[in-house]
Amino acid sequence: MLRPTLNELISGMQRTIIEALMPELTSPYAQNQAMSAIGMLAHAAAILESAPAYDAAEIKDLRTTFAAIKRLGDKHLSKKSGLRGALARATRASTKAPPDRRAMEAAMAEFTTAVALGQADDRVARHVRGYLGRHLERSRVLLGGASPSA
Amino acid sequence: MDQLRLTEYLKRKMPHASGLRVVGLKRISGGSSRETYAFELEWIEDGNQRTRPMIGRRDPTGGLLKSDREREFRVIDAMHRAGLKVPEPLFLELDASVMDRPFFIMHRAPGQTGMGAFPAAEPESTRLKVANDFIGELARLQSLDYRECGLEILGAPKNLEDPARIQTAHWNDIYERDRMDEQYPILTAAFAWLKANPVVSDRIVIVHGDYRSGNYLYDENGIIAMLDWEMAHLGDPMEDLGWASMLFWGRDEFAGGLMEREAFYRLYEEKTGNPIDRKRLFFYQVLGNAKMAVICLTGIRDFVERRTSDAVMPFLELLLPQLLGDLANQLRLV
Repeated sequence: MLRPTLNELISGMQRTIIEALMPELTSPYAQNQAMSAIGMLAHAAAILESAPAYDAAEIKDLRTTFAAIKRLGDKHLSKKSGLRGALARATRASTKAPPDRRAMEAAMAEFTTAVALGQADDRVARHVRGYLGRHLERSRVLLGGASPSA
Repeated sequence: MDQLRLTEYLKRKMPHASGLRVVGLKRISGGSSRETYAFELEWIEDGNQRTRPMIGRRDPTGGLLKSDREREFRVIDAMHRAGLKVPEPLFLELDASVMDRPFFIMHRAPGQTGMGAFPAAEPESTRLKVANDFIGELARLQSLDYRECGLEILGAPKNLEDPARIQTAHWNDIYERDRMDEQYPILTAAFAWLKANPVVSDRIVIVHGDYRSGNYLYDENGIIAMLDWEMAHLGDPMEDLGWASMLFWGRDEFAGGLMEREAFYRLYEEKTGNPIDRKRLFFYQVLGNAKMAVICLTGIRDFVERRTSDAVMPFLELLLPQLLGDLANQLRLV
């Protein structure tokens, strides 16, 4: 294994900022920026560790959700809504190797819009809402639920 | 900002002053859409030694917003003349050769500020005074005639349907520009909803554009000055109220950490004499969440594309789950 590992390197950079740089910084702005940089490194370490699993779960969930919508059949996707085309694009994107995540998310944006505008069939909407709920939960786990008051 | 160049500039602007000195010039955090500097200005006038705390706001190389510093200065100036609680604006310099980028100088008001919701640790008496001033200043702002204030420069909507349409289109355009080809299904759906459900204003008022907890200086006697006027425009009075009362700035039943949300609304109705149109308020709360998410995307893009090195910018990503979650709840997407 190569040493330092990525985590050891990041942790070392944080110590450098705290122990070597911070005592030399007199401006409050520079001190705040240094503190933010320390936080950024911690965030980077967490993301590096968690992002692959997050990405894999997102792709799997998008694929599963579109497959479930497809199983409902065309009668649940009105021609007018344009969702049949979106589903076809999502299906093509999900069978690519590697899957085209952006194309799947673009299709999901069309389905989400249809739900927001009340233009989606109830059973389709249930699948879309299910995906969005899980997607938000995964995002919160990955990034946290920060707000300015937190 | 360079101390020597700033001193020379202020000497030219204040020919009556002698012995003028810029003391303790330092960049401070906050006001992320501009570089913000604090300093003391010392000079002799009529034989008397004078000292005044000052703020310099310079255009950034990148950041959260692409706004017009002249517009911001003119609005603060108009608000100051109208007697609202704002820092006194002093000098606007648009010539980029003076200090590399346009900037303006204003009085530095005393008091403290916060990042977002009003600090829960403050005494209740302070919180209630700040809440009362917060709504009171909003009511005063909305009672002003923008023409009498000389603020036609902000661009008056042509009719009462325009405010919702203009703001939706404005932030949707920035979303399309700054999302860096990424897909945000909830945000895309929110803009589609806003376009499909426009509201009609009952009048055109001056809108602060970022009227919220965290954008004022206060002490134990209440609000001293409302800050950050760079997003000011003309529009629907519900826009500022919707933004100020978004769950995002409070995260509980206390709007902005100031006052229980329904009491907050009642106080607004009492101070303005206008009943709240809940449908319009909801529209602007949805728009507010979408707008804040887009502001985050702009900051992230500027960081990624190296227009800013501000270490706060990448953390804006952390705000997205909350904003998108709030939008999903509002639009019944979960």
